[in-house]
Amino acid sequence: MPVKGIRTVTAARNGVGAFILQCKRLDFHYCNFGGSSRGMLAFLTQTLPRFAKENPQIEIRVSPRHQKHPMIKGQYINGNEKSICVRNLEPEDILKKAMILKDASGDKLKRTKKPITSLNESVRGIWSPYHGDLRGV
Amino acid sequence: MFSRSVLRSLVSDLRCTASAAPLPQRACLHQTALLRASQQEASSQSSSPNPDTPLSATPRAQTSQPDAHQGIKKQPVAPSFDSPLKVTKSLMSSLPHLAGQSPHYVVAELHARPYLLTEGDHIRLPFLMPNVKTGDILRFNRASALGSRDFTLKGSQHVDERLFECRVRVTGVESEPLRIKEKTKRRQRHTKTAKSKHRYTIMRVMDVRIKTPEELLQEGAVVVEDTADATKIEAKS
Repeated sequence: MPVKGIRTVTAARNGVGAFILQCKRLDFHYCNFGGSSRGMLAFLTQTLPRFAKENPQIEIRVSPRHQKHPMIKGQYINGNEKSICVRNLEPEDILKKAMILKDASGDKLKRTKKPITSLNESVRGIWSPYHGDLRGV
Repeated sequence: MFSRSVLRSLVSDLRCTASAAPLPQRACLHQTALLRASQQEASSQSSSPNPDTPLSATPRAQTSQPDAHQGIKKQPVAPSFDSPLKVTKSLMSSLPHLAGQSPHYVVAELHARPYLLTEGDHIRLPFLMPNVKTGDILRFNRASALGSRDFTLKGSQHVDERLFECRVRVTGVESEPLRIKEKTKRRQRHTKTAKSKHRYTIMRVMDVRIKTPEELLQEGAVVVEDTADATKIEAKS
């Protein structure tokens, strides 16, 4: 008897029923001394509390990283990590970068040409020459 | 009042213990965030001794029922129809066949481009949709065709939006890898590099549903006589 593999019954389709934000954690790194962290320090004190309150589903960590440029790192459900360096940026720009990380799906960036990817089988089935009406040319 | 605050502290204790498991925290939803914020405001007004730790106290499952969106600021635009839906007799008689045959597709149009959608599809729009946030639910109301395996309902231009429901959820924004195009001119060593990195809205189709005649009648559809240019259901030949 041939060995049969176990067929997967379901595939994860986030958003069909419940929707879980793909970004699970954002790490904000800053340096207390460096000049490139000035905008980041302002962001951490002024904007971040509100951002964190608006996005309670994201875990937010703030930690110093001495002698380095400030950085935002996003951890995603699929296990990927994305990081953006925010040196010398103003707080508003840093918020934009944080929003980019928040909205991202965590997948690798790809160029796709087709707008729709479907896991479903074709609804109308595959055309067959042996079925249906005969048609003249 | 006192008993309520005691209860709340108890609940928060429970929350602390529950937070050890990662999953319930992750399962909270975007659209409940605003709900939760309003609840937090309410609880902070009633002088709770605990810091507002939001996560697992709110309902985690979300339905597509409009009742679940009460606390959300952005309400859907109410439809403004000036006449009830007119359905011909022939359409009414053949609609159960289409509505009953289960997997459905819809050719939804967005900025005059067709998108053939079935339930659970992942859409990456070729543009960044403005004024939407991650987690928003949109209803596509412009369709040129609806169908199942054997039947198709084609609109004369578009299918009336009261015949079907197609909802999608905005799941985020993706971008493409940076494209660098080298621009050169003749007899010149200088090359200019043009960079572009577009961003695209990604969505997930939540449901594609064709309404049954009973539902249509319940919603106030009027049955009229057949005309030549009315929408018809075609069977697969």
